[in-house]
Amino acid sequence: MSTTTTKSGLARARQGLAPGGPGGGAPNRKSKLSAQTRRTFFWLLLPSIVLLILINGYPLIYAGVQATHDGSLIETGNFVGVDNFASVVASEAFWKAARFTLLFTIVGVFGSWAVGLGLALLLRTKIPAGGLFKVLLLLPWVVPIVVSSTAWNWLVGTPDSLIPAMFRNLGLGTPLFLADPTLAAITVMVFKVWVSFPFMMMMTSAALASVDGTVYEAASMDGASRWQQFSQITLPLTARSTYISWILMTIFCVNDFPTIYLLTGGGPVDATTSLVVLAYRTVFQDFQTGPGVAIAFLMTITLVVVSVLLYRQIRKSSVE
Amino acid sequence: MTSPLSTTAGFSRRGFLGLAAAAATVPLLAACGGGSSTANSGGTVKFWDMPWAAPAYNDAAKKIVDAYVPTGSNLKASYQTIQWNNFYQTFSSAIASKTGPAVSTGGGFQAFQFEQQGQIAYADKVVEALKSNGMYDDFLPGVLEPFKTDKGYVAIPWQLDMRVMWYRSSLFEKAGVAVPTDWPSLLEAGKALKNIGAVGFAIGAGAGNFLGNHASIMMMVNNGGGVFNKDGELDVMNDRNVEAVEFLLELVSNGIIDPAAVSYTSDNLNAQWKDSKAGYGMFTAGLPGRIGDTTGELLVADPLTGPHGDKASIMFPNNIMMYKNTPSQESSEAFLVDYLGKLKDLWQQKLVTSLPVFKSITELPEFASDPNNVKIVKEWQPISKNFAAQGSTLNAGLAVLDGGQAINQFTQTILTGKTDAKSALQAFKTGLESTIKK
Amino acid sequence: MSAAVHTQPQSRSALGASGTTKGTGKSKRVLSDAGMRGRWWRFTLILAITAVVLVPIMVTVVLAFSPSPTSTATGFTFENFGNVFSQTLASTWLSNSLITTLSTVVVSVAVAAPAGYVLSRGRSKAVSGYSLLLFVMQSLPIITSVVPLFILFAGLGLVDNLMGLTIIYVGSTMTVATWMMAAYFDSIPISLEEASWIDGCSVFGSFTKVVLRNSLPGILSTAIFAFLLAWNDYLVAIVFLRSSEIFTLPMGVQSFFQQNQTDWTSVMALAVVMMLPPIIVFATLNKYFSVGGIGGSLAGR
Repeated sequence: MSTTTTKSGLARARQGLAPGGPGGGAPNRKSKLSAQTRRTFFWLLLPSIVLLILINGYPLIYAGVQATHDGSLIETGNFVGVDNFASVVASEAFWKAARFTLLFTIVGVFGSWAVGLGLALLLRTKIPAGGLFKVLLLLPWVVPIVVSSTAWNWLVGTPDSLIPAMFRNLGLGTPLFLADPTLAAITVMVFKVWVSFPFMMMMTSAALASVDGTVYEAASMDGASRWQQFSQITLPLTARSTYISWILMTIFCVNDFPTIYLLTGGGPVDATTSLVVLAYRTVFQDFQTGPGVAIAFLMTITLVVVSVLLYRQIRKSSVE
Repeated sequence: MTSPLSTTAGFSRRGFLGLAAAAATVPLLAACGGGSSTANSGGTVKFWDMPWAAPAYNDAAKKIVDAYVPTGSNLKASYQTIQWNNFYQTFSSAIASKTGPAVSTGGGFQAFQFEQQGQIAYADKVVEALKSNGMYDDFLPGVLEPFKTDKGYVAIPWQLDMRVMWYRSSLFEKAGVAVPTDWPSLLEAGKALKNIGAVGFAIGAGAGNFLGNHASIMMMVNNGGGVFNKDGELDVMNDRNVEAVEFLLELVSNGIIDPAAVSYTSDNLNAQWKDSKAGYGMFTAGLPGRIGDTTGELLVADPLTGPHGDKASIMFPNNIMMYKNTPSQESSEAFLVDYLGKLKDLWQQKLVTSLPVFKSITELPEFASDPNNVKIVKEWQPISKNFAAQGSTLNAGLAVLDGGQAINQFTQTILTGKTDAKSALQAFKTGLESTIKK
Repeated sequence: MSAAVHTQPQSRSALGASGTTKGTGKSKRVLSDAGMRGRWWRFTLILAITAVVLVPIMVTVVLAFSPSPTSTATGFTFENFGNVFSQTLASTWLSNSLITTLSTVVVSVAVAAPAGYVLSRGRSKAVSGYSLLLFVMQSLPIITSVVPLFILFAGLGLVDNLMGLTIIYVGSTMTVATWMMAAYFDSIPISLEEASWIDGCSVFGSFTKVVLRNSLPGILSTAIFAFLLAWNDYLVAIVFLRSSEIFTLPMGVQSFFQQNQTDWTSVMALAVVMMLPPIIVFATLNKYFSVGGIGGSLAGR
């Protein structure tokens, strides 16, 4: 940080220039907000606090009750402690779904990031009708998932669908994209990348836009190759935004229900059952409310832990 | 760096106004979206119905309900269509919040599930009323009994969702083979159909498609097996079931069941029938209408005879149930009796493709003019068992059997062919045991 | 290199949109040396990629303009759209969707902007704790929270109407929206507020008069995010809405699904109708949409 002479709002704020704080910008001094400012802050936060309690807090507590009882969606039932969690953790299906969720998330996050980054880099250059392509490439994210999953089913679902027929005409056999367990898992992940890359593209575009072009000028004068420019300038300069996009996409992937459920329903034979799909099927098809909600709970806890770790990572990368 | 404490008062008033402005959009919305379910919950019998057929069906059913004139002090009724997608969630959350219906159709075993949770009003008085107005004797044989429990009638059936075998005559002519009547001839016909590129046993078990599950149970029942014994206890590993699963695996290994069937949605399966790819297979009643086929080549086959001489299929008696949460139980009952009496309108307008529960409706010219319908009523309905076979009464556990993960996994395992009969059944049994509450 | 990393925020700190576009201008100048040949090569490449990516969407569009199985029309036809709008409540659903979505957008920004401001300027432990809490509490998947929410909202008389739906959408967009706003506020130099305080403005006054006035791009990107979430949701709507006259478009699409049977041409026609508003919004506001800014907000904690 030593090279900066003018500081961003953030940095200044951190050094005690927050409203009502002591002036002078003495570094590392904790800011003390005036009571008045604190009150204003409270009022500014209030609507969001109320919503948080109502929309997010209440269901979380309710789910906590469901997960520790043996009731149904209608009745609470008897308190069973951690029995539901124990039975869930002991079941093979849970771990199978956990493994799939992990793989699905890794492919979903990095696949959509790689595609999004590639397209963002390409669209950043001068291309005729570039703006049009930018909008067109956002479409997979915009189309309702009920519709795009159906369109995908038509393209790959049966041996006579367009894509298997193409493979057959090329003499590559007739792949059953949704019926073969391995191919079905791959298809669902490709579908997820297809749905998600526009978001990543937009995130990366925004981050790239904030990189000062003079850095590249200097680098190319120093004889840096394209790849060196990319790996040593572009990636580090957009690192913060990249971490954030990874966190958000991790949440989107882990919590994703319709993408998988509408395309494969979790099958064949659980090959594409993620934790959310398993939780859904346990609650709404097996009518095992407690264990199903317990699955969702375990998933949420893991998600939070992973995200907080990543979040620390961002903090480190920007404070170092 | 002075903090502007002195002027805050004025601005916080503005802040308040800002919040008020944000809040003001809220009642505006309320004015725009006044829902009917909250508006009329007090004085009417709420009837919820599912999209059982094309939208014209729901329009016609709504007309019946709107035209209902209650007698005496009974309340009027209101009609509401509930979407299939996530319907159990919709019903559960509505019942839990006391905003649910007084009377409804729904999933095949929904009445038993909600009965288990103490939400269902028994229909004994409705049955009494049907006895006194003569409609009781009009029921097709064996359709009402499954709903009778120790405590009373849980629901009243209104249509039978049959599972029957269909075939496309032109494909059989092309393949030069007879329509199957038993398992060996099914195997033989399947091989012949496969040679001309057709499917000899068309089913699907993809996202949201339960026909594959039904087919695997149907074959067990067809062989005199089933998931429950006569006392209603789980009995998965019996020899008849093993034999049926072995037969299904044989169909898979011979390519008679489409290798991609495991992932076929309803839509994929319908397309297979419509595009003349499917030669023979299980479907509901009214196949030509459902897929829009007008060739007249799609016909109902004879029931199959199992290797031990058994002849049986399965059906789902869809039913109307009443809930304890009603403005007036007498009104619910009066409405239900009246509605059952007007069901024939729906078949008269040819809006429902499934079978009626009343003999008089099956004799209507609009229904009986279709030879496929007649054949189903004559040959399939009498041998059809419900999902509880070999047991006779229905129960809440059947809902798990119908749409749960255990059967789905079981069917998909068979359809991928990578298993043997005993281990598939063993996994099925373990799965059912862990989910079906005693 | 590390110096460049950390001075970077200032380069986009200028007021308004110029901050986000400045960098692009400069880099374009550098890259333009590659010349025309590269331009057309890249054009072909992106054209090919776009064509492949859009195949599933073209399927949708083609079907929407094809005659339905029961129709007598041939070739390209607008019939499905005519049918959807004349035989169903599609126009009502469209206006319901617009009302719900626009209200969600307005209320989301109204809630997220002040909260984001506090997250950006407040440096206390409580504030960073709140930021994390926002995140933790919204991690529960919607499929498990929708039943409790329904029960709660039924008690408040907010089911089967658009207001209840809007409140839930606002709640589900809140975390990301708040972070997005905070990120944008981080890029606004605090010196501007300091100046207004000297002029006698309150904290709230400087927030509305100085900060918000200069945050249009941040507000717009938050708005688009909320727009998409509310526009496409069906998991909440399907449980909360019953009466067809208050359906939103995704629910309208659901109403074409019968047991074992679906009216696909109507589904696709309605899907095309559903695609248009987001496309219009994106096409007009695309350059403002910079979720990337969230990085700053989180990183500061």
